[in-house]
Amino acid sequence: MTTTTPPRPTPAARRPRLQHQIAGTSRTRGGTIPTLILLLGAAYTLLPVAWVLVASSKSRSELFSTFTFAPGTGLWENLQNLFAYGDGQYGQWALNSLFYAGFGSVLSTLVSTMAGFALAKYEFPGRQVIFYAILGGVLLPGITLAIPQYLLMSQIGMAGSYWSVLLPTLISPFSIYLARVYAMSSVPTEMMEAARIDGASEGRMFVSLVLPMMVPGMVTVFMLQFVGTWNNFLLPYVMLANERMYPLTVGLYTLLSKGSGEPALYSLAITGAALSIVPLVLLMLFLQRFWRLDLISGGLKG
Amino acid sequence: MSTEKLQTDAASMLVEGADPPQNRRRRRRLAPYVFLTPAMLLFVAFLAVPIVYSVYLSLRGYRLTGGGAFGRRRQVFVGADNYVSTFTEPEFVAGFTRLAIYGVIAIPLTLGLALLFALLLDLPRAKATRFSRTAIFIPYAVPGVVATLLWGFLYLPSTSPFSFISEELGWGTIPFLEGSMLFAAIANIAIWSGVGFNMIIIYTSLRGIPSDLYEAARLDGASEWQIARQIKIPLVAPALVLTGIFSLIGTLQLYGEPTTLRPMTPEVSQTWVPLMKIYRDAFVRDDLPLAAASSVVLALGTLLVSLLVLRLVQKRAFGDDS
Amino acid sequence: MRNKATLFGAAVIAAGALLLTGCSSASDEGADSADGPITLEYWAWGTSQQPLVDAWNASHPDLQVTRTDAGGGTDSSAKLLTATRAGNAPDVALIEFNTLPAMIVGDVVAEITDYTGDARDAFTESVWGLTSFNDATYGVPQDVGPMALLYNQARLTELGIELPTTWAEFADAAVAVRSADPEAYLATFAPGEFGGFAGLAQQAGAEWWSVDGDTWSVGIDSEASLEVADYWQDLIDRDAVLAEPLLTPEWNSKLNEGNILTWPSALWAPGVIYGVAEAQAGDWAIAPLPQWEEGNSDVAFQGGSAIAVTTSSEHQEAAAEFALWMNTSEEAARIQIEAGQYPASIVGQELTLESDPPLLMPQQTDYWEVASKIAANTIPDISWGPNVNVASSAFQDAAAAAITNGTPLRDALVETQKVVVEDMKTTGFDVAEN
Repeated sequence: MTTTTPPRPTPAARRPRLQHQIAGTSRTRGGTIPTLILLLGAAYTLLPVAWVLVASSKSRSELFSTFTFAPGTGLWENLQNLFAYGDGQYGQWALNSLFYAGFGSVLSTLVSTMAGFALAKYEFPGRQVIFYAILGGVLLPGITLAIPQYLLMSQIGMAGSYWSVLLPTLISPFSIYLARVYAMSSVPTEMMEAARIDGASEGRMFVSLVLPMMVPGMVTVFMLQFVGTWNNFLLPYVMLANERMYPLTVGLYTLLSKGSGEPALYSLAITGAALSIVPLVLLMLFLQRFWRLDLISGGLKG
Repeated sequence: MSTEKLQTDAASMLVEGADPPQNRRRRRRLAPYVFLTPAMLLFVAFLAVPIVYSVYLSLRGYRLTGGGAFGRRRQVFVGADNYVSTFTEPEFVAGFTRLAIYGVIAIPLTLGLALLFALLLDLPRAKATRFSRTAIFIPYAVPGVVATLLWGFLYLPSTSPFSFISEELGWGTIPFLEGSMLFAAIANIAIWSGVGFNMIIIYTSLRGIPSDLYEAARLDGASEWQIARQIKIPLVAPALVLTGIFSLIGTLQLYGEPTTLRPMTPEVSQTWVPLMKIYRDAFVRDDLPLAAASSVVLALGTLLVSLLVLRLVQKRAFGDDS
Repeated sequence: MRNKATLFGAAVIAAGALLLTGCSSASDEGADSADGPITLEYWAWGTSQQPLVDAWNASHPDLQVTRTDAGGGTDSSAKLLTATRAGNAPDVALIEFNTLPAMIVGDVVAEITDYTGDARDAFTESVWGLTSFNDATYGVPQDVGPMALLYNQARLTELGIELPTTWAEFADAAVAVRSADPEAYLATFAPGEFGGFAGLAQQAGAEWWSVDGDTWSVGIDSEASLEVADYWQDLIDRDAVLAEPLLTPEWNSKLNEGNILTWPSALWAPGVIYGVAEAQAGDWAIAPLPQWEEGNSDVAFQGGSAIAVTTSSEHQEAAAEFALWMNTSEEAARIQIEAGQYPASIVGQELTLESDPPLLMPQQTDYWEVASKIAANTIPDISWGPNVNVASSAFQDAAAAAITNGTPLRDALVETQKVVVEDMKTTGFDVAEN
């Protein structure tokens, strides 16, 4: 496994931090302004998150009457109401999101990896055409496809099913593009040749040799897909009519728009929103070690 | 899988370890197609066919059949009627104008802040970088609808801490959701959501630059700002272009944020951005063919704009085309 | 590590596949076997629906109903249209009266004249006319919304304002409220309230749609409508009414502070106010809507819905039976009243006279008497056109723009008229020129 090292960018952690030792301590002093600006940026991004966490602790009446950042007393009550609403719809929505994003991303990552690998490591007629088709797909905004996809699905009678939301997310031209970039830089052709000489079939070689080498790229693709699908709103909104099949995004939107007629729902929407942020943040913190987001710009340099 | 079959056939005919060259070559020729099959099937089914079907549907329309006051609407061929309607609908064009205003605020600020934060993170003397980087990236995990919900409550006078403070100071509430401030308010949500992701892309691109490039400059006494301007920024230009294009595509796709704000302010109409008009036509006006025509126009327009931008910065992008 | 990864991947895929096969059947329509119990799918919104369905299911083991909330009136009508085309529409659905013609023209609802038989007698002529056109019946009325004035009696008394009985008095009262308390408003003009405004225009004599033989006439910009628009424009210009959407967090807090004193709406309104401002129970009361002319008592409807059977349903007769029970039986009527609906059926309306007043006004013991007098004075023969959805969205946007830009409301009506007529003509309807 350590026979070849990928020629691509050295992992950031290993770049030596010798500068300040060479030039003396002047490099570490004066770091206040950059640090301050960064912390201001962090405060800006964390503000709404802090707000929603505090707001979800407020009971219905406290929501509009107490100061924004004063914690309330209704957190437990809000959580109970949230999960009880509509016979446990919120829990169902969370499961749906997990299904669409989790299951969908696993499948999509596989599809993209295979396709990216093929485009990167093989010469075959039609390669250019397919590659440009993929690029075209990248430039086409996904959301403008949601309504045409809906029209098609309803024509064949599949609109409103779990499939109708799952299947369209399996194809992601951008993921294929990333997989291709990663395959090009991390899978040495010599190794493939060696395997072939040893008598391995293409499939065997792919599963035993290529896939393990592409894991960091696959993790990146998985994460991008997962977040993209988890956060997707328009596709499920358009495809689904049955509330029990909504993912969290559409479900929370429904709570909010019904909230005008039933203000009790505002508290639920807020608590639901607060809760929905948690798993994704955790996932990202966990995957931080593995992702290779330099892939995205990595494909651009010469 | 045909490759497996070929292999077992070959193996059964030959001595262990050897393999006739013609079988090997055939497997290798077929392999890429096999690997590409799932992606291609899905591509055709969910990208190509919907587009073709939309074009087909855009040439049709619902017209009355059966006469009388209560006839039935059925689908018939209507030619280019829907396209004419789309281009002559003032709200559709107005929607693009709003997108332009919104984009002018959102795109430069998102990229500018992303670049700034990335550069700052790359400074050796900056502290708390791990924390800041993670914190700034968190909005990426928040769906647009939820982000709008959060900011919506931060804008509404009755729950906004900003208005609370300004009221205490005697200045009245801040009209975030009114008039021209509305554009800034919506742009802010997009900036908040997008800065982190773009920052990380630029940052990882920065980290990929070999440090000896700046060692020389630093030894010569160049300031960090000069290094940034003359070395770092030019080298991450491809990443900037990429994030720029994504932001542009995202701008044209704006939908979730205005839709979620609608219940909170009368200033957002049902057709505030092109995609909202398309949704309204499809589901409120029950005119799917018109929505299809408008979708085709929007998709083509986006494609054109993206290609144009790419052409303009061709020198700096996509260096390793195959 | 590789083996664990493949194992994990395989497990995920297996789990996902299982879920999919299990879940895809969740979206199937009401399953039924040849002779066994039939299950109908019913789309309806509102707090009364589940208790009603539960009561039906308890007494009808062979004809079960599963209810889905597909969103409010506008949302669920939109979904019905697209679901019908996709082939997965429910068997029965709750449809607002004003959307019913569009549903008929869109081939969503089935004609059920043959199944409704004597049901006609269970309703007054004008109510039955909301679901029957040219002797063809398309639905069974469930609840009606005769318009009335909901007012915060306690606050009006506190500010020394007398309850207005004409619109002229209403305007004076609105101005008086503003000088008595600069924070308070007598009423709200909400640009999104298409149904409410239509009702006010109809009270003034406007006929927004009417049909003569095969020709439609659209009167959204008729003199009567424009006068109503001018009336409210005048109040907005003088800052005598609040020009904001209803039931937003902003509006709710103003209401709770006692700064919104009346709501010209309909008989279903008390439940809504109670949901927003429980603490004000006992302060509110209901009265007839102000009139244009002293001594009149006509009002229009705002809202109200019917249960209709869909063209996609394979059990239309059974579905009609369900609809009839829901809207004409005594048991159902009791549940309706408890949930805050004003029943459309005669038996239901008579039952209200035996009931306690709504939770918002426990002190108004003659609430139901007042209500039934109001209901008795509704304008007959209000017809809605085949593209109310178009009118509604055009009106909402035009009115909102008028308020934001300070342009007259009457222009919004003219704009709406234009859009509606154009849409009807494009579709192929015969529309008379004004």
